[in-house]
Amino acid sequence: MLSVKDLHASYGSIKALHGIDLEVNEGELVALLGTNGAGKSTTLKAISGVLRPVVGSVRFADEEIANKKPEAIVKKGISLVPEGREIFTSLTVAENLRLGAFSSYQRSRYQKDLEEMFALFPILEERLNQPGGQLSGGEQQQLAIARALMSHPKLIMLDEPSLGLSPALVDQIFELVSALRDRGSTVLLVEQNAERALKIADRAYVLKNGRIKFSGSPQQLESELDLASVYFGGEEGKGEVTV
Amino acid sequence: MTFLLRFLTRVPGRLTVITFAVLLAVGAVLVNSSAPRVWIGIYTYFCVTLMLVLGLQMFMGNSGILNWTYVGFVGIGAYVSSILSVTPSVKALGVPNMYPALVELHLPVVPAILVGALVAAALAAAIAWPLMRLSDAVGVITLFAALIVMHVIMTQWDNVTNGPRTFFGVQEFTTIWIAVGGAIVTLIGAHMFRESSLGLRLRASRDDRFAAPAIGISVVRVRYLTFVLSSFVAGLGGGLWAHYITSFSPKSFYVAEMFVLMTMLVIGGAGSITGAALGSAVITILRQGLLQLESYLNNSGVISFEVYGLTELGMAFLLIVMLIWRPDGIIGGRELHLPFLRRRIAAADAAETAGPTDPI
Amino acid sequence: MIDAEFLINTLSLGSLYALLALGLVFVYGILKLVNFAYGEYIMVAGYGLFLLGSYTALPLWVIMILSVLLAAAVSYLTEIVAFRPVRTKSLTAMLITSFAISVLLQNAALLFVSPRSRAVRLPAAFSQSITVLGVTTPLRNVLTIVTAIVLLAGLTVLMKYTVLGIAMRAAADKFTTTRLMGVPANLVISVAFIISGFLAGVVAMFWIGRSSSVDPLIGFAPLLIAFIATVIGGMHSLAGAVAGGFVYGLLFNMLSILLPASVISYRDAFMFVIVILFLLLRPEGLIKGSYTEERVG
Repeated sequence: MLSVKDLHASYGSIKALHGIDLEVNEGELVALLGTNGAGKSTTLKAISGVLRPVVGSVRFADEEIANKKPEAIVKKGISLVPEGREIFTSLTVAENLRLGAFSSYQRSRYQKDLEEMFALFPILEERLNQPGGQLSGGEQQQLAIARALMSHPKLIMLDEPSLGLSPALVDQIFELVSALRDRGSTVLLVEQNAERALKIADRAYVLKNGRIKFSGSPQQLESELDLASVYFGGEEGKGEVTV
Repeated sequence: MTFLLRFLTRVPGRLTVITFAVLLAVGAVLVNSSAPRVWIGIYTYFCVTLMLVLGLQMFMGNSGILNWTYVGFVGIGAYVSSILSVTPSVKALGVPNMYPALVELHLPVVPAILVGALVAAALAAAIAWPLMRLSDAVGVITLFAALIVMHVIMTQWDNVTNGPRTFFGVQEFTTIWIAVGGAIVTLIGAHMFRESSLGLRLRASRDDRFAAPAIGISVVRVRYLTFVLSSFVAGLGGGLWAHYITSFSPKSFYVAEMFVLMTMLVIGGAGSITGAALGSAVITILRQGLLQLESYLNNSGVISFEVYGLTELGMAFLLIVMLIWRPDGIIGGRELHLPFLRRRIAAADAAETAGPTDPI
Repeated sequence: MIDAEFLINTLSLGSLYALLALGLVFVYGILKLVNFAYGEYIMVAGYGLFLLGSYTALPLWVIMILSVLLAAAVSYLTEIVAFRPVRTKSLTAMLITSFAISVLLQNAALLFVSPRSRAVRLPAAFSQSITVLGVTTPLRNVLTIVTAIVLLAGLTVLMKYTVLGIAMRAAADKFTTTRLMGVPANLVISVAFIISGFLAGVVAMFWIGRSSSVDPLIGFAPLLIAFIATVIGGMHSLAGAVAGGFVYGLLFNMLSILLPASVISYRDAFMFVIVILFLLLRPEGLIKGSYTEERVG
């Protein structure tokens, strides 16, 4: 479904990605792991068109989308839940959701979509007319995901959805992400919490210094590769993965 | 030979400064000896303008802040130096409402211009600290508002400036030699500033305002010091300008004049001294050409209506085209460098280190 | 001092300034650009009145509508021709571009029309007087207030209840994220410029209605007023701009009455000192909005 080939990207004169190859098939939940600064968020930004220009190929549903504008890429069916949630704080929850549906709005199904979101995230119905800025961190994360789902994406990309949330909420978010896959969505998940992400992922990639260091199933990753070395760069042997 | 080359290229911009200084001096000699009188005037005016643009580059180019007040400080230098240098009898005649104490004040031209520059710097020092805390839109509007306040005071305080009317009777002191000397000194000063620790810290804060404090740069402090320094140059240039033009009014230190200075700086490339100097030269030539065209059209009767604004229109158009096409200016924020010189030095260095072991 | 006359004058002045400030903030909110060419959109509308009035036989009210639309069109044109190409460059580049456009438009008027001011004709209603609350006041003042109420209500509906309005508020909050929703960047920016130019055009009718003439530099004074009003009210929200406009109208009328005659010529300087103090003490203005400083990239 999504096929990234030899993707290079940079921030000004600083190169952040040195040739990424990545594949996401329909219905899969793929995890993209790595430390801070490894290039995970950059990869998502490059795919979604926020970071331009890039060098290389990004194909989605047999169409080249590299260097297209973000608004065009959303229309193709890729939705990004950005790092830090990026809720429109001055807009109400209802308005946030309405904008989420901007790219593929159909009056006939809008109400039904909303109700589906309320079923997934009951809290949003309660807070419908409150400004997004008044929501708690966990609520904002739910809103961000719901907002992305409103566009009926073929592929949903989540950038660190568990960041800054309390342990109970982290559980909730991971349950939700795996529920998304079970519902038939295709998911590309960026996480620092590798252990948790691997529990729900079908496949995983590990990024380091802007390059793919590993790709395969979570089981392969655990057996073939010392996770700690990926994260800490050392050769200390297997250790608890706490990132 | 290699020694000279190394000296020229070791610090970025040194080559520019020396090249421009030599060109300016040679140009002055040529113009003075063989060009028509009107050219001497244009050349003198160009040198003073170059000084002003270099002073603007010091702060605006290195900090990235659009400094509207600059032209106001030019005005302060012009007024203060002229009030001091004009004889009491001329002042009593030209500025009828002037405070008696001011009428009595009288200094020779050189100290008068220096005092003018110091007053500009002192005023900048007095008001700039809080202004330097602001960035982006708020900062721009504040500096713009400050220019308007300065302008209102210049036009209304007729006990000092003769109000909106022309202040005249200033001695014509600024000859082509003094102007060239001023431009060369400013060129060297601006270059030394740019490469100094202060200049470097200011450029770092321009490139990343939020990261600069992390390496121990006090953004407000470096901006403040440079602002004061830049205002000193503005005052100095203003004094020389006043003693060339000999009569002026507050509208010479307002938005339209700021536009000319800003265009010169931006078209060449605000980030470097090469850019500032090149932009000043290009715009001076263009302006003179357009002004000639304008006056030709008006005097020859080729067209039936009078032509106004062609010069500014042309400059504004060019500026917009440049901003779209090359927003960093002709030079692109770099200093002049000649690759072949670098190669020769590299070759010379290689020969030197290889020398003893290499049997030729 | 506070009588019905003062009240009507202040309300009318405040209404005009509120519209003026609003037009500036529409663009600022989304592009973070302080548009120095904003005053020239007013000038353009004025020359629309002059040219259409002199060379066509259209009814005056049609000429007025066309002139307002002309200001909106020129604003849109400056956006696509000049601002769009430099949008991703530095903020300073964009500011200088707006300044250059201002100089360009001013001198185009100077060159192609005349440096001297030109008389324009406006409907008779602009010079008639009316008695309200026992006060005789120019009908223009009442028209200003009514126009402001209608436009503010219309814009409120647009911004609150239409998808475009929601998208524009979102873009002012987080521009990149708004694009991630599928909202085209060029759409919201263009609409912002069109609304901005439209408001400038409407203001022009009343501004020019006072003197019934237009000259190339007529845009400078309203630009300054828009600056002051937005700074007082806060650059970061539309409501703030409106509030700032009314506060400025009040302040201006009060200073006119309170300042002794000998310093009245310094009124502008006083206003700007107030602006500077405001910026230093309360950079977010009276009404703290939620717009961030995120630049459009």
